[in-house]
Amino acid sequence: MTLEIKNVSKQFDSFVALDDINLLVGEHEFVCLLGPSGCGKTTLLRIIAGLLDMGGGQLVFNGRDLSAVPARERGFGIVFQSYSLFPNMTVAQNVGYGLRIRGDAKGTVDKRVAELLELVKMPHLASRFPWQLSGGQQQRVALARALAVDPRLILLDEPLSALDARVRNEMRVEIHDVQRRLKIPTIMVTHDQEEALMLADKIVCMNEGRIEQVGTPQDLYLRPATRFVADFVGVSNLLGTAWVRRNAPGLLAGRPDGPDGDFELCVRPENITLQAAAGAPGHLNSVTFLGNLSRFRVDWDGQRFIVECHAQVRLESGAALSLRIDPDRCNWVHT
Amino acid sequence: MSATAAMTTTNRGPGRFVPRSAEQWLVAACLFFPTLALVLFFAYPLATIFWQSFVLKDGSVGLGNYAAISSTPGLINAGWNSLVVSLSTTAVCVVLGFAIAYGLDRTCMRGKKALRGTLLLPLLAPSLVQGLGLLFILGRNGLVHQWTGWDLNIYGYSGLLLSDVFYALPQAVMIIQAALRNSDARYYDAASVMGAGGWRKFFDITLPNCKFGLLSAGFVVFTITITDFGNAAVIAGNYRVLATEIFNQVSGQQNFGMGSVVGIVLLAPALLSVYIERVSSQKQFGSASESRIPVQPAPAPARDRVFGLISWLVIFCVGAIVVVVVFASFVKLWPYNMSLTLSNFNVNISSGYKPIWTTLYVSIVAAVVGSVLLFCLAFGTKHISGAPAKAIYLLAVLPVGVPGLVMGLSYIFAFNDPSTPLYLFYGTAILIALCNFYHYHTQGFLTMMTGMRAVPQALEEVISCLGGGTRRVLTDAVLPFIAPTVLAVFFFLFMRSMVTLSAVIFLVTPDLDMASVSVMHLNQAGFVSQAAAFSTIIIVVVAAALIAMKLLVMRLTPQAGGEAA
Repeated sequence: MTLEIKNVSKQFDSFVALDDINLLVGEHEFVCLLGPSGCGKTTLLRIIAGLLDMGGGQLVFNGRDLSAVPARERGFGIVFQSYSLFPNMTVAQNVGYGLRIRGDAKGTVDKRVAELLELVKMPHLASRFPWQLSGGQQQRVALARALAVDPRLILLDEPLSALDARVRNEMRVEIHDVQRRLKIPTIMVTHDQEEALMLADKIVCMNEGRIEQVGTPQDLYLRPATRFVADFVGVSNLLGTAWVRRNAPGLLAGRPDGPDGDFELCVRPENITLQAAAGAPGHLNSVTFLGNLSRFRVDWDGQRFIVECHAQVRLESGAALSLRIDPDRCNWVHT
Repeated sequence: MSATAAMTTTNRGPGRFVPRSAEQWLVAACLFFPTLALVLFFAYPLATIFWQSFVLKDGSVGLGNYAAISSTPGLINAGWNSLVVSLSTTAVCVVLGFAIAYGLDRTCMRGKKALRGTLLLPLLAPSLVQGLGLLFILGRNGLVHQWTGWDLNIYGYSGLLLSDVFYALPQAVMIIQAALRNSDARYYDAASVMGAGGWRKFFDITLPNCKFGLLSAGFVVFTITITDFGNAAVIAGNYRVLATEIFNQVSGQQNFGMGSVVGIVLLAPALLSVYIERVSSQKQFGSASESRIPVQPAPAPARDRVFGLISWLVIFCVGAIVVVVVFASFVKLWPYNMSLTLSNFNVNISSGYKPIWTTLYVSIVAAVVGSVLLFCLAFGTKHISGAPAKAIYLLAVLPVGVPGLVMGLSYIFAFNDPSTPLYLFYGTAILIALCNFYHYHTQGFLTMMTGMRAVPQALEEVISCLGGGTRRVLTDAVLPFIAPTVLAVFFFLFMRSMVTLSAVIFLVTPDLDMASVSVMHLNQAGFVSQAAAFSTIIIVVVAAALIAMKLLVMRLTPQAGGEAA
């Protein structure tokens, strides 16, 4: 089962929500649409679900054009951030809802509901009502309800954003396990880069209605293609070409050709080594202790660096430092 | 190809549905029929009244009626009187309303529940009950005269002011209280931490935060007073006001052109104040946040006693005036023979109890037709956007600016015309029901829209994704959430239809009389006790409806409320 998104665009009055989106969601794949609010990720998800008509382009699912297929005939499962359970139905009735719409026999429905409640680890809560459940439990029910109808594709719209941190972490693991087990292709919208890095096979980083970069979590973190991705996924030190030429000309080797303003060097905080040395060009501005690591703010020739080390280095503010950047662990990004 | 597709969808705006003909037909039908009815039974009659205001007595068309305003001394006088009585009522109601609302929301005075209950009483009765009650107490055959022998003249400005205040005050209290409730305890905590005292907090936080509530209450009171007919008809006497003047011009002198001119003169301040009220209420409630912490008053004996005293005194009067009417309906010969009897309910003049049955029938029709049409309209407008949605919304909220008398008069122009097929409706109970429904259309529509907005869109979408059609969306997502609202709108329309007087006064005929009009006629004919008996029956029916509504709404409200606990 594959989903092809071809040249999809969408406009709300004069606002361009999606601009020529092309994307392939492969079999068994977990794809995360990642980006800040207003980047078009939810719009794209809603178009895929059939809840919003696209302005232009094509959706092809398993070779079939979806343009004329309404949401109810697409056979996709969807989970929203706002649990959206039926308040007047029990947990079991909620999970079995899609099956009842399909007209399945009661025995089949009951059996399937039991299976799914087992899968989301809450068979003992089958007769509760939504308002008697915690946020995390409600979201599990919503997930079970989406999975009950054997969807051909699962769509998750920021499913974890309303949960508190600890529950969110548990649910992440759970969603990850369930998806790997059932192997249903899944598209999840999130603005949380950590969530995307942990769950996705493929991250689609979006900005202002366009795709900035598509790749594995490793690709996006280690080899960001654009300044936006470098900035949005993880923390980056972004160095201008002129600065690099002045202070670390050795790093210019990997730079693609183009005017100075077109590219910046992206260096992750953990890929810089600090060395205290009298007369060195860097000045330590401040240190933040973060438990297993420490974060240093260092100024060097007008550039503020953020450096993270695991070692318990004892340094005083204002200390002179030299910074070493490994040429293999940084890359040039398009601005 | 993609370019043209983009064009058409952009024009349609951000539609939530992929083209699915069945659904779109449904939405279209939901919009078409209520809008058509709005045009036929609201916009068209209103247009005819504008047209009629240009038709002169001899049948020619011109500005003569408007020119005649200045040469009709009675009119200028009535306009001035209306303005004076409405402004003074507004001033009194805003001041007292604020004191009572503040007492209810920000002090620990005793008996708040009983006070709130008493405040509902005036809403259960036709607006002429205040006038009637005042006559029973202060009139020539009133209690005070009987006990003291004082010769009070309650007819005129003072009587009208009192009855208008007692009629409008509850609404002022409710609006101001809503504004006060909207505040956040954290403002006060922050101010206290910074060293502000009680008065400082009052002038820096309380007053600025409810200024739009005060403004809004002022405009609402002004509108209902200047357009009120019932109390003016009962107690104004020779003190002419615009509302009674319209009635005299049309019913007394058969001067329809002049009547419609007065109607339009009345329409102007009402529409203006409704507009200003809307703007200000949006400002007020736009700032409300979901996570606010309500202000909890701390006991302060002196303050609580003062506010308690004011509130109890005023609300005692508000309630007493209604209770006196109910009591008088059981009294043999008020105030000379105070023994109790049921003989007043033995109404043998005019058409007996028929008006009560007619009113019940009319009210039920108005409630059924109204709640169905409003549900469809709210469902439809939720699914469209852009200019058409705005146009329908505007048309749907406009009726609140049209005084009942103007509505009623416009119905005569529009439907008492044998040359149009609409003449079929003339003289039927259905037309009265429709008139009542459109008279209260705005409040019903806004309530329905609020209810519709509370239906989670995500739930509707989940159903679509799970393969459910519109029927499923309606029964499983929309209805569970909106049922209490539909019920509330149903009972609201029913109760208002039961008590309204101004709109129906022009539409009743000897064969088709309404209860509130009967009260007026009985009173005018001197059968005061029978008038009281009729009022009592109306009050009982409406009170029963109110209790039934509260019970049903409680049962129907989804238990999602438990989430907050």
